[in-house]
Amino acid sequence: MHHDNGIWVSTEDLNKEESFLQAAEKEFSVENMAETDGNWTASRRDFLKLMGFGLGAATLAASCEIPVKKAIPYVTKPDDIVPGVANYFASSFVNGGDYCAVLVKTREGRPIKIEGNTLSSVTSGGTSARAQAQVLSLYDTRRIKTAGTIEEGAVKAMGWADLDNKIKGQLQLGGNVRLITNTIVSPTAKKALAEFMEKYPNSKVVTYDPVSSAALLAANQQCFGVRGIPTYKFGEADVIVSFDADFLGTWISPVEYARDYAAKRKIKSMKGASMSRHYQVEGKMTLTGSNADNRIQIKPSELGAAICTLYNEVAAKLGGSSISAPALNDKAKAALKKVAAELVANQGKSLVISGSNNIMEQVIVNKINDLLGNINQTIDFGTINNLRQGDERDMARLIGEMNAGQVQVAIVWGANPAFELPNAKQFKDAFAKVNTRISFSGTMDETTALCTHAAPANHQLESWGDAEPKTGHYSLIQPTIAPLFDTRQAEHSLLEWADSANLNRQDEQPYYQYLKSHWASELFGSQSKYSTPAAFWDMSLHDGVFEAPAAATTVSFNPGISLNAAAVTQPGSSEVEIAFYETVNIGNGQYAHNPWLQEMPDPLHRTVWGNYLSIPVEWDGVNEINGWKGLNDGDNVEVEVNGQKLTCTVVRTFGQLPGTVAIALGGGRETGGCGVGFGVNVNPWLPVDGGLTQYFAKEAKISDKVGVDKKFACVQYHHTMGVTAMGKEEGAIINADEKTLGNKGFQGALTDRSIIFQVNLNELPELSEKMAEFHQKAKHLNEQTLYPDNTDFYGTGLKWGMYIDLNSCIGCGACQVACVSENNVPVVGKTEVHRHHEMTWLRIDRYFYGDLENPKVVYQPMMCQHCDNAPCENVCPVNATNHSMEGINQMAYNRCIGTRYCANNCPYKVRRFNWLDYTTADTWPANEEQVFWAEGDEKPYYADNLVRMVLNPDVTVRSRGVIEKCSFCIQRIQEGKLTAKQENRAVLDNDVRTACQTACPTGAIVFGNLNNPESEVSKARKEMGPLAYQVLEEINTRPGVEYSAKVHNANEEMFS
Amino acid sequence: MSQAVAPVRHVLIEGNKSYHNITEDLSSPTEKAPSREWIIAFSLAAAFLGLYVFAVCWTIWKGIGSWNLNRTINWGWDITNFVWWIGIGHAGTLISAILLIFRQRWRTGVNRAAEAMTIFAVICAGQFPLIHMGRLWLGFFIFPFPNTRGPLWPNFNSPLLWDVFAISTYFSVSLLFWYTGLVPDLATVRDRASGFRRKMYEIFSFGWTGSAKHWQRWESLSLILAGISTPLVLSVHTIVSFDFATSVIPGWHTTIFPPYFVAGAIFSGFAMVQTLMVITRKVLKLEEYITLNHIDSMNKVIVLTGTIVGVAYLTELFIAWYSGYIYEQFAFYNRVFGIYWWAYFGMMFCNVVSPQLFWSRKIRRSIWWTFFLSIIVNIGMWFERFVIIATTLARDYLPSSWSYYSPTWVEISLFSGTIGLFFFLFLIFTRVAPVVAIAEVKHILKVAGSQFIGKNASSHGGHSSVQIKKEEN
Repeated sequence: MHHDNGIWVSTEDLNKEESFLQAAEKEFSVENMAETDGNWTASRRDFLKLMGFGLGAATLAASCEIPVKKAIPYVTKPDDIVPGVANYFASSFVNGGDYCAVLVKTREGRPIKIEGNTLSSVTSGGTSARAQAQVLSLYDTRRIKTAGTIEEGAVKAMGWADLDNKIKGQLQLGGNVRLITNTIVSPTAKKALAEFMEKYPNSKVVTYDPVSSAALLAANQQCFGVRGIPTYKFGEADVIVSFDADFLGTWISPVEYARDYAAKRKIKSMKGASMSRHYQVEGKMTLTGSNADNRIQIKPSELGAAICTLYNEVAAKLGGSSISAPALNDKAKAALKKVAAELVANQGKSLVISGSNNIMEQVIVNKINDLLGNINQTIDFGTINNLRQGDERDMARLIGEMNAGQVQVAIVWGANPAFELPNAKQFKDAFAKVNTRISFSGTMDETTALCTHAAPANHQLESWGDAEPKTGHYSLIQPTIAPLFDTRQAEHSLLEWADSANLNRQDEQPYYQYLKSHWASELFGSQSKYSTPAAFWDMSLHDGVFEAPAAATTVSFNPGISLNAAAVTQPGSSEVEIAFYETVNIGNGQYAHNPWLQEMPDPLHRTVWGNYLSIPVEWDGVNEINGWKGLNDGDNVEVEVNGQKLTCTVVRTFGQLPGTVAIALGGGRETGGCGVGFGVNVNPWLPVDGGLTQYFAKEAKISDKVGVDKKFACVQYHHTMGVTAMGKEEGAIINADEKTLGNKGFQGALTDRSIIFQVNLNELPELSEKMAEFHQKAKHLNEQTLYPDNTDFYGTGLKWGMYIDLNSCIGCGACQVACVSENNVPVVGKTEVHRHHEMTWLRIDRYFYGDLENPKVVYQPMMCQHCDNAPCENVCPVNATNHSMEGINQMAYNRCIGTRYCANNCPYKVRRFNWLDYTTADTWPANEEQVFWAEGDEKPYYADNLVRMVLNPDVTVRSRGVIEKCSFCIQRIQEGKLTAKQENRAVLDNDVRTACQTACPTGAIVFGNLNNPESEVSKARKEMGPLAYQVLEEINTRPGVEYSAKVHNANEEMFS
Repeated sequence: MSQAVAPVRHVLIEGNKSYHNITEDLSSPTEKAPSREWIIAFSLAAAFLGLYVFAVCWTIWKGIGSWNLNRTINWGWDITNFVWWIGIGHAGTLISAILLIFRQRWRTGVNRAAEAMTIFAVICAGQFPLIHMGRLWLGFFIFPFPNTRGPLWPNFNSPLLWDVFAISTYFSVSLLFWYTGLVPDLATVRDRASGFRRKMYEIFSFGWTGSAKHWQRWESLSLILAGISTPLVLSVHTIVSFDFATSVIPGWHTTIFPPYFVAGAIFSGFAMVQTLMVITRKVLKLEEYITLNHIDSMNKVIVLTGTIVGVAYLTELFIAWYSGYIYEQFAFYNRVFGIYWWAYFGMMFCNVVSPQLFWSRKIRRSIWWTFFLSIIVNIGMWFERFVIIATTLARDYLPSSWSYYSPTWVEISLFSGTIGLFFFLFLIFTRVAPVVAIAEVKHILKVAGSQFIGKNASSHGGHSSVQIKKEEN
């Protein structure tokens, strides 16, 4: 075709020759075709040519639909981003009262992993499952994407400027303004709040905590004049008595406590081994109770009585006045007497704490500590823990105000009272009476849905901020990605509405400047290391934490306090009491919308996706262990508390005191994310006593079985490792669970397996001998082989190995979530877990042992053992799984054809098969129905590109039909080796640290090069001597992972 | 072939048949229009085959997650069915090869059908290793051939690879053996056919003319193939047993598996032959060729192998106890008294107790008892494989991972679907080829002295003696 656009293809074209124009008219030239009698005929060659072209073109056009993938190059490469190399930014994980100093790993500008920050003396590099999972919530598809008004539970977009004007208009009317928050630990946020309140003097901040510690705060105010939580020094206490405080799992600052606690309990050497003794007084089994040396079982309503009893016992010995303690069960009474004796023997080196939310109970606990001389010793009021500041009585007052029409503007910041409060219904009714209701929430939670305006705050990983978890311990939050949506920091919004002069609106990140200047003005002066505010800021930001030297402060117990036993909880007399508790993963529902946390099994019950009613188990003395009332795991029952009925699913729990049941908080979220529809909301059941929320009810009516949960999801069916009880036929104590195996039982079927070794501290030398014998025997057995191989394949170079100290492992699950995050382990959803299709590479096996009614617990992190004589390797027909020269059992996913023989042949059952297209990596979506879909979504969870941003680019996403398993974080090993190589040195411990290892708050997992005798792992294994063992050592798999025996320090007199 | 004539011998073919009668009787099923029973049976089989195809497509489309296997029990009905079918596929070769070597002449009445059954059973068995793979489309990775991936070879240590060799060898040899036997018979059918049928049979009978040279070569080839097949009867199931025996899982890791599996395979194979023969002889009216003596003999093999299997079961239990090894002891305790106890007792009853009835001659020679017990034995052998696979995996080393397994509709459809596939093929076979080996049966027509002496001798008349003469030439 000729065009008059100045472009020509030949001189003929340029000259507009006739022949060219004619030719150009005909798009397909037939000049070469022969013309016969005016008909065009094609020669054989033409026919072939045309057919070839036609076929080729049709094939190309029709069959190869190649999905469009967008790769956008950096036009100008940012200085600090090298593609393929991760950047780490020091930051903090803060959510209400949950705190963790962290490093955020980013790749090409996307945060993908949370690591602990070892520079913090609060968390010392430890993390929690909640912190680990934070990165996933950034990529939540249900985040509110714009500011606007809220209509029928959805945001109607509105520009920020319009919203600001509208809200300022409302604020300037001068009515009462109330800010509803959870605990705020950020000093700069508090400054912003102060500015806001200065501007609007009728405003007030109302703070409560999702799980309350108000009584503790109030009691400390009364006793010591400090409304704060002291620093508890678990690492310095020889005797720890916890009255229902789950300090290792959820109580106040668990990461910090767990580290100190475990440090005191590590068996460092066989000779003169010592550890603290931990008594837990509780009715339900908590994570902390499961780690205790002795559990003293009480009904939830007996907590006050137990505290009073201990007080009386201690007071009798140390000259305090006695009080009239309410009645307590005899067994607990006798036990507490012994505890008291031990406490008195360890004055100043013991610690008594309580999770009670009754002020008098906390006062008495304080008094016990005072009598024992623990105040200012193991309990340090010099460094106040700021992680709990709320008081639900303020909320009750607020509800009154709102009902009276005295509140014109309510701003909800980080709290979700419409779900979390026991009186959520009253709150909702009252809240509706407030004229303007503004929410900073990033998701459409229950409270936000009731608001009129949404001013969505950035996700924390997009925010600037700071935290002061403990007095003088500061920590910064820095953004690691630009806000994904049109959101704005809450602090910025407040300052904006307050017309703050300190907020430089021209700045690209106004709150950043605000924060920086706050640090310059308030904190720079408290140190002398850096001479300029800029240097101080840079280094603080680099480190993530700044610790100001603290002045030692002592407090003394207010002598004016009188102990009133009548004010403690009086024991109930009903048939069944119910306890409510917070789980390490879901909290009071704050984390319910995080699939990683939902799919992390509850450490104790091993259930996922929901909250289940723990019921006691009963032993018939012959060969059955039954659930109470004959209920089975997964049965549904109707539970009535305070006249409100809910249908709950039952899970049988060892250690649950008969006459009590327990259920976790946080289930049954109604809006806001993919946790909707899992579990039941039990918050309305929580009684309120003296304005304070109580986490038990004295009476629960529980029906017989009314149905079954067809998707009951529990990752462990068998729970025990030899629980003992009286056998009727034998007339002696036998292993009760072994008696239930099969027809007549098989004594030794569980305990004779070399999976768990456990002992009480006083018998440690005996166990050591026994284990030395066992190692000998195993060695002998393993030498009886047809294939004697004298080749030392792994004696040189690197040989990777792991050591897991079962004595330090508290079962918190941080490692499991870290592994999921690091290794792109898919979330499969409740139905698939129900079918035992969970994909976790690392699981924490939990076994009960000891007294059936009050068992002990051992947690055993179990992942690929990287056997040097791996059963999985020789059976794979295609060599998809094989051994590296560094002792790593490797999976070549692309080679795997999915015969699953390796998984059958794995004695540790750690291999995971992609039964379905869990990662939605297949090219056709027809088979994605059964994978995890969040309710109301249009595609599977992992199919969304936003969610997929969380994937670690260093780790292959596995497709359907292949096996996967723990790789010892091979990508990290590779990275570490390259670093060492570049620096021309040997690989050191610090070069390679696995995800589970870095996540662990107690340092239970050690990883490194076994060929280096100086490596941490070699030393740890050596130090433990015969107490270090390989699971199933005698079957000659030669695992690369070693465990240590679990040692308890139980007071054995207590049960004799 | 000249036969020694001894009056003490019994007739192997009843009904005073002449050679012509044999040709008539055995070729006619391929020539007549199918009976109503055949059509009903065939439609049923085709329907199940359809179900099978659907279930396979479903499995491939959805993934193995459409089955109920789980992280602990990674093999279930799939491999149970595989081993079961492979076991069934043992009788054919045994009858053809080993009984040939032992000069059990009665075998000619049933060897053709048994060999056909072997081939179809192996076809059914071969389905499962394929479809149980997570990524069937990459199944070719398992074959050792020079390739562009390195070249990357399969793992010659893996029993699954040995399986591939063992089963493909077994299948090829069985097929050859079977087809070799078929050639003269196809020629017989060809000679009687006309038109298109004749043309087809001409092709399939490879131009067989029945010349002495043909017979000589045919005999040599049969003998060679019998020689090759004989060790295969033992090797195939031995190697299948290695799928378990080479593992580290208590209950699998036992040296008794090879003989135990082979005995079990012959046991189930004979049971399946009985099931089929009892029906076939009735439907195709072959009672005179497949006689009660056949049924009697095969029942004897069943009681023998069933007892061997029983001894193996007890040996396992004894050795588990004697080993003093807790895992082994518990694995077997669990087999008997654990969650799948019903499968174990089903197995024990069907495989060990029920065949003992065959000590009674009356029951051995009863069509109904034979049919009933052959079904029972096959159920029992299925249970045996299920017990070995699922029960063992459900309770292995780490109690934390113990689990339970029951199949989904897909797995049940796959199993019943392969039964459809099996009968689909078998029913076609009965329509296109003589179910009893015509040529071989003719060899044994006159083995009993009574056929040459006395009044019975006359019934054969000159016709048959002419034929004898012919053959002797």
